[in-house]
Amino acid sequence: MASNASHRARKRALSAAHFIGLFLAMSLICLPGLWIVLNSFRPTVEIMAKPPVWIPNSLNLDHYRAMFGGVGEGGVPVLTYFRNSLIISVTSTLVALLVGMAGGYAFARYRFKGKAALFVGLMATRAVPGVALSLPLFIIMARAGIIDTHFGLILTYVALNVPFTVWLIDGFFRQVPRELAEAAEIDGCTRWQAFWRVEFPVARAGIASAGIFAFLTSWNEYALASQLTRSVNSKTMPVGLLDFTSQFTLNWGGMCALAVLMIIPALVLTFLVQKHLIAGLTFGGVKG
Amino acid sequence: MTRLRLPPWLVLLLPAIIILAAVVLVPLVLSFYSSFTAYQLTRPETLWKWIGTFNYRKAAGDANFWWAFGRTVLLLTIALNLEMLLGLGLAVMVSKVTTGQRLLRTAMMFPMMFSPVLVGFQFKFIFNDNVGLVNNALQSLGLTDVAIPWLVDGHLALFSIIFAEIWTSTSVFAILILAGLYAIPQDPVEAAKVDGCTPWQSFRFVTLPFLMPFIYIAMAIRSLDVARAYDIVQIMTNGGPARRTELLWTLIGRTAYVDARMGYANAMGYIAILLSIFFTIYFFRKLTAARSELGMGV
Amino acid sequence: MKRLAGVSVAALMLGLSGTAFAEGEFAGVTLEAKLIGGQQYEALYARIPEWEKMTGATVKIISQKNHFELDKEFKSDLAASTTNWCVGSNHSSFASQYPSLYTDLTPLIPADQVAEYVPANIAAATLDGKLVMLPRAQFDVSALYYQKSLYTDPAKAEAFKAKFGYDLAVPETWDQLRDQAEFFASPPNFYGTQYAGKDEAIVGRFYELVVANGGKLFNDDFSPAFNSDAGKQSLQWFVDLYKAGAVPPGTTNYLWDDLGNGFASGTIGLNLDWPGWAGFFNDPAASKVAGNVGVAPAPKGSAGVRTGWSGFHGFSVTENCANKEAAAALVLFLTNEESQILESSAGPLPSRTKVWEHVVDAAKSDPYKTEVLAAFQETGKTAFAVPATPYWIEATNLIYPELQAAILGDKTVDEALQAASDAVDGLMRENGVY
Repeated sequence: MASNASHRARKRALSAAHFIGLFLAMSLICLPGLWIVLNSFRPTVEIMAKPPVWIPNSLNLDHYRAMFGGVGEGGVPVLTYFRNSLIISVTSTLVALLVGMAGGYAFARYRFKGKAALFVGLMATRAVPGVALSLPLFIIMARAGIIDTHFGLILTYVALNVPFTVWLIDGFFRQVPRELAEAAEIDGCTRWQAFWRVEFPVARAGIASAGIFAFLTSWNEYALASQLTRSVNSKTMPVGLLDFTSQFTLNWGGMCALAVLMIIPALVLTFLVQKHLIAGLTFGGVKG
Repeated sequence: MTRLRLPPWLVLLLPAIIILAAVVLVPLVLSFYSSFTAYQLTRPETLWKWIGTFNYRKAAGDANFWWAFGRTVLLLTIALNLEMLLGLGLAVMVSKVTTGQRLLRTAMMFPMMFSPVLVGFQFKFIFNDNVGLVNNALQSLGLTDVAIPWLVDGHLALFSIIFAEIWTSTSVFAILILAGLYAIPQDPVEAAKVDGCTPWQSFRFVTLPFLMPFIYIAMAIRSLDVARAYDIVQIMTNGGPARRTELLWTLIGRTAYVDARMGYANAMGYIAILLSIFFTIYFFRKLTAARSELGMGV
Repeated sequence: MKRLAGVSVAALMLGLSGTAFAEGEFAGVTLEAKLIGGQQYEALYARIPEWEKMTGATVKIISQKNHFELDKEFKSDLAASTTNWCVGSNHSSFASQYPSLYTDLTPLIPADQVAEYVPANIAAATLDGKLVMLPRAQFDVSALYYQKSLYTDPAKAEAFKAKFGYDLAVPETWDQLRDQAEFFASPPNFYGTQYAGKDEAIVGRFYELVVANGGKLFNDDFSPAFNSDAGKQSLQWFVDLYKAGAVPPGTTNYLWDDLGNGFASGTIGLNLDWPGWAGFFNDPAASKVAGNVGVAPAPKGSAGVRTGWSGFHGFSVTENCANKEAAAALVLFLTNEESQILESSAGPLPSRTKVWEHVVDAAKSDPYKTEVLAAFQETGKTAFAVPATPYWIEATNLIYPELQAAILGDKTVDEALQAASDAVDGLMRENGVY
């Protein structure tokens, strides 16, 4: 009895500790982010007040109103930036996935000389710091006339994401038993059909997870975008954040408002896809 | 006449190879060449001024460069290890929750939605000594009556940067490790319980070995990615004050674009690449070893 | 929107005489332009369609980003030799870095037109005898913002006099400012003053103080001259304030945005800052000190000279532009009287003599605006630009870590200045300056 009681007490203490720990961790994770969301609704005078204003006196949409307002009144071409970001991120993610699927399939299904070296080589391209890349890339793109275009940035982001997608997707295809595809081929499917009907559905979850990582990378990337975009033709939202700065001033409230517009789509997408994400990573990681 | 037929694996890999060659390899060759010249952006003719290994020797002889190098290694080691531990803890806690897990997982990934530029500004304001959130909170709670110079004191500044870095990146670890936790076959865990293992023992000897591949994957991804912290550090301290938080990336970025000394910056960049390739290969090796231990093949 | 439109209409009626264009003069010409982006600068670009209509030319804005990104882009353009666009935003502090990018405007702009700009600005826009840019109404020099309430408390005034032996009044010298800053400070809730602590910003502040103290940053051959008595005295000023706790302990990490937000939070007594913040500080929705802000000319150094590190934005025409006449006409249009009136109506300072008069006149009914303009005009009279060397920015990157080291106590003032001086000397020699 006694040991049972102490066991129960320990269990209760453990679950309390679990709850508290989780609560603290989630607070630490969410508070700095929520602080930005809150700031976007507060007048600047309250954001950095001293003594601090803990309970907001007034919440309003002024920063949002100004952001959508006219040029010279705090307006920023938000919708254009949003469209650019969306086109560039979605397209580059899709292309990266296609390329990644092809590459991953090759690594998973074929044997060839120098496979390991090629694999590590592909990965290592990701280790190149942006600084070493940005200028030569600028020169090449400027000469090719694709600077400040969606295409230029999409191409760059595809290259940025391909190593990771190849790696992850490679793991998922390995997960699908070879015999499954072979059986389908015997049943009269072409290899292509076998791929779409048998292997692709099994690996779909992994592809979704590679997709969300790729999307978030493209959606948030700043350093290269600031170099390769110039005008409203192609400027993405992270670059647009800097529209709230001038040489000597910075409009933090406005920046927060734009940031919220950046975060919401990413959050919604993550919420929708994360089920696949977990399932996907589960297979990919171990067998990769 | 026979048509040249490429092996199918090459056809499949070709798109990836072409794109990476165009976007990474060609620029890399260009910048590698320029690291042997006196290349200055504002004087294009200097691209043809071959100076041999002068830039490399200059970097190797520059104390500031090696300080930045050491500091970068230190920061990477601390940040990666802490991210791993915190990510592990977070993943274990989240995996034990029974209701609302979908919401929790999304919340856990919240920081991944923040662009690094934004994170830089965010933590610069949060750690502002005068009107920042942290000092305001500490003072309101009566925990301190001085303004703590978070971004100025040598140790605190490094701490603040690491904090920001951990805040943004722990999610990556947590999500990958969480995936690993779901993947663990239940039989060995049950067996351990039957054998009378304490929860700690079964975690240490059954769960953890299964998680190691995931941890190394996360480590490898992150060690490839850390240069992304450049945006954060650049905005938070830009390497200052008095070079107390100078990292390779801030030093190289400033030399390249503000000082316009692209040749010299590229030479430093190549030394830095060696560093990240070392980290990556190290974790790849660990990953392979961990997998073969578990009998998963390579 | 309506108010802005009203201003520009009035501006149009005020003086179209200054810049008359032949109807359709540049029909069919397309000009590519790289213009600075950001809310403060973009209102002006609404006038471009007007010019297009007048001249028949088309303007394509191919780049619009913030100052520092634009600087990076110009450098990248030089590197890639993609410099056949025509009109670019420029800044007096950065202009000397692109010696080959921009063309001399002297043959393109009639001398009587050039004479209408503030002469000091034209002088600063002239590098090696080349007029590389025309200034727009974005002239920047720093004046002293202060909380008026600090000077209305008799108890404070008495205590101050007892301690320092002279009357408490808005400081006219940097020594007085130091005394007062130390006197007002009550950390962590209130600080006497603050200063920009990194990058070009702190070097600029150091530079103007060296000049105000009778020294020079560079000799005529651009060898470093700041390791002097005036230099030491200037750096000591920064060090003293930091040691006394009269400035926020994080000040060595502050840039302009931190300074502006700090003063607006009401926790800073005296603040040397730029004209761009004037409206912000007095706006109740943005600033706690609204209604309590006074503005005085920048204090003087030990040589009786005011600090006055200044700069301005402007527009330049590239050397490789296919139609320089059209480009120069656009630059002139964007900086003409009407344009400057439009731009300065939102707060920034003009760079044309007549527009200064107009702005001062228009502000008559607004005492705060009048005070602001008077302070900046007075400071502007003796303002000076950054040293005209292409290595200015690079030199600042060598100097500022040493200044920080002295302020934080890692080095003595003498050691820090010696190290900075040696580093700059090395830079100049490596580049064959002397």
